[in-house]
Amino acid sequence: MSEDLLRIDDLHVSFSTRRGMVEAVRGVTLAVQAGEMLGLVGESGSGKSVTGFATTRLLDAAGRVTGGKILFRGQDVTKLRGDDLRHLQGAAMSMIFQNPRAALNPIRAISLQIADAILTHKRISKDAARAEALELLRAVQIRDPEARMNAYPHELSGGMCQRVMIAIAISCNPALLIADEPTTGLDVTTQKVVMDLLADIAAARGMATILITHDLGLAARYCRRIAVMERGRIVEEASPKTLFGAPQHAYTKRLVAASPTATSGIEDLVTEEERERHAAVVSKPRTVAAHGTPPLLEVRKLAKRFDQGAAAVADFSMTMAVGESVGLVGESGSGKSTTSRMICRLIDPSEGDIVFDGQSIGHIASRDFHRSPFRKDIQMVFQDPNESLNPRYTAFDCIAHPLMRLGGMRAGDALRQRVEECADRVGLPLDLLPRFPHQLSGGQKARVGIARAIACRPRLLVLDEPTAALDVSVQAVVLQLLDRLRRENDIALLFVSHDLNVVRMLCDRTIVLRNGGIVEQGESRALFENPKTDYTRKLVEAIPHIDTGPVLAVAL
Amino acid sequence: MLSYILRRIVSTLPVMAIVALFVFSLLYIAPGDPAVVIAGDQASPEDVERIRQSLGLDRPFLIQFGSWVWRILHGDLGTSIFTNLPVSTMIGQRLGPTLSLMMVTLLLTIVVAVPLGVVAAWKAGSFIDRAIMAFAVFGFSLPVFVVGYVLAYVFALELEWLPVQGYTPLTEGFWPWLQNLILPAVALGCVYIALIARITRATMLEVLQQDYIRTARAKGLGQGGILFVHALKNAAVPIVTVIGIGIALLIGGAVVTESVFAIPGLGRLTIDAILRRDYPVIQGIVLLFSFVYVLVNLMIDVTYTIVDPRIRY
Repeated sequence: MSEDLLRIDDLHVSFSTRRGMVEAVRGVTLAVQAGEMLGLVGESGSGKSVTGFATTRLLDAAGRVTGGKILFRGQDVTKLRGDDLRHLQGAAMSMIFQNPRAALNPIRAISLQIADAILTHKRISKDAARAEALELLRAVQIRDPEARMNAYPHELSGGMCQRVMIAIAISCNPALLIADEPTTGLDVTTQKVVMDLLADIAAARGMATILITHDLGLAARYCRRIAVMERGRIVEEASPKTLFGAPQHAYTKRLVAASPTATSGIEDLVTEEERERHAAVVSKPRTVAAHGTPPLLEVRKLAKRFDQGAAAVADFSMTMAVGESVGLVGESGSGKSTTSRMICRLIDPSEGDIVFDGQSIGHIASRDFHRSPFRKDIQMVFQDPNESLNPRYTAFDCIAHPLMRLGGMRAGDALRQRVEECADRVGLPLDLLPRFPHQLSGGQKARVGIARAIACRPRLLVLDEPTAALDVSVQAVVLQLLDRLRRENDIALLFVSHDLNVVRMLCDRTIVLRNGGIVEQGESRALFENPKTDYTRKLVEAIPHIDTGPVLAVAL
Repeated sequence: MLSYILRRIVSTLPVMAIVALFVFSLLYIAPGDPAVVIAGDQASPEDVERIRQSLGLDRPFLIQFGSWVWRILHGDLGTSIFTNLPVSTMIGQRLGPTLSLMMVTLLLTIVVAVPLGVVAAWKAGSFIDRAIMAFAVFGFSLPVFVVGYVLAYVFALELEWLPVQGYTPLTEGFWPWLQNLILPAVALGCVYIALIARITRATMLEVLQQDYIRTARAKGLGQGGILFVHALKNAAVPIVTVIGIGIALLIGGAVVTESVFAIPGLGRLTIDAILRRDYPVIQGIVLLFSFVYVLVNLMIDVTYTIVDPRIRY
């Protein structure tokens, strides 16, 4: 057997923090053969990215390899210095990152950024480097590459930026590429295109790839071998089939269960052992509004035009019944966030009307809407719980604020009681209430965001990608929480998401948006199982599925 | 781009108009009757009245203001009450030294402060970083006149390397010109160097945290390339802003520095004019400084668009 291209042996990495040394990687052992694509899967904080950064020697100044070896072609990477290190970085081994737009220098033309990498490692003229950069743009299938050469990152879409990153990474024909969450934050369709491209390039050039991701489905689709990491250790390593068919480790089981699949329902998102507890909640049936009752929300021919540009949303109409959940899906730029914000009355529509509970609210200017009695009834949960909480507000303040502003409550025992009630409702432990956002985990912050939104007992909750920034296991819990709130409190949910699996599970009906207009709508399950338009079909097909059915048979 | 610059120039017009109104009102806000001042101690009330009429001080405020603006637009800044010379001539004579001092200071500051800040950010937390920041605090805390006198004492009186005071025009040679400006420029630049070094360090620290710097490292780029090609240019916008704000500081500092080093510049002229209540001269100088400041701001805005392609104009 040939020698491994990369061999990580009992790697330990620690970070020095204010509270002393924190060990992020605790004894990772891993091998990658030439030309292989290995999936490194785990949730945030599992140490998967840190392992990647240690391998490419890109750890933050605070991080240090405290033990173990990283052998690349037999040479210990952790001991390289100066020029030897530079010959490795970008040349023999390269890396692409999450959030491609931030990973590119915002004020440097992309041709120069690609040429940077070439000129660092090859002794050729600037013109020759430019010519190579153009070839690379062609290789990553950027349309009209000549015109794009002088573009800046902000002029390109997220998917295009990631292609440019791939172009930079492969510019010197590395033997190993480490892709750290390369498609997180991209649309499903873009994700598919980018990942297909990456897989093709890796295969054509015989380049080994480590795909670091939190998405089991994605890893299963592209990798022959997957290593699962938890708290700095690799807990299981197997082929996707065995991993999903017969996971061995408890953590893997939980992770597999929490990953939404084409057929799973909300109740499936926990492992069988945990299902018992949840069953009681699910069994409570959802109240169905009697026929003839007026809808809770009616949107008529809504349109939004920003300054000179084309309409971001045009001719959008929908209705929602009390306690109904509706999904709004589409790629970025489809107008789904704009629509949800108009309905929330955070921005003003250019045309059309919004009728809530029989009263028109579309004409109330968004900046005055906080004085409207309906502000209490329509609340929003924002995308990123890390960014949407005021860092100087404790969890308590966060939940208490709307109660005081909209509910007219004063500081005191009554307020404290209400806040604790809300926290309890979303499953936030009460001892966390005095904490500031940075002292809470992602899932806890998401709960604070939801508790804040439901504090004033709204009747319509608009959720803008509420789980996009969360780990799958946390996502599973948040989705179950939302479903429970809907069933028990009859809160109508307008769920904006690009994650079709999640929408299918949570929403009764789904509306597919494209370029600001409705492409298709209907009952969720039917819509996804039998899409009527090509666009919806493309969206559905792009979701990386975990095919558990047949694999199970093989495993048995 | 050109239309952007034109639009920016047009948008500065209201600012200049407000400045002009303020400058003109100085005459009325300030204590003391200008006619009395001009007439001198021995003048009779009739003399004062005659002067008041000949200067048009008895006419309504807006008419005076209108004719004042009209004259300024034709390049006539009025006549000094004290020397009877046209204000524009007086300013013209003093412009050279002040401009020289400011240019040399600005250049010295940028050449010294920006690299210091970059190095401090690169070596953040190290001894070098702490030494540079300690120097910056020192530079902040010392008033210009203290630094000025100490420098003059050490380098001019004791070591005799440089002249103590005075000014030599550039027409008499580069070295004599520069020689006289080194000490004032260092004295004046101290605060400014400290300020810019700190801002450069802070901005660079932030930029060095960005993802694209990690990308640059992943490409295998050398330290110099990362710091100066990728990081510094991204840090440029805040640095340029502070350099611009600093020019206002420089104008104030120049007045003091020129007094310390006996440089016959606008600063000295300003002090003299204030002491003599020579209103036309004061008005002319304030107007000029405001104009320069508006111009600098315009240049900064244009620089932004050159540095950062994301800023649309």
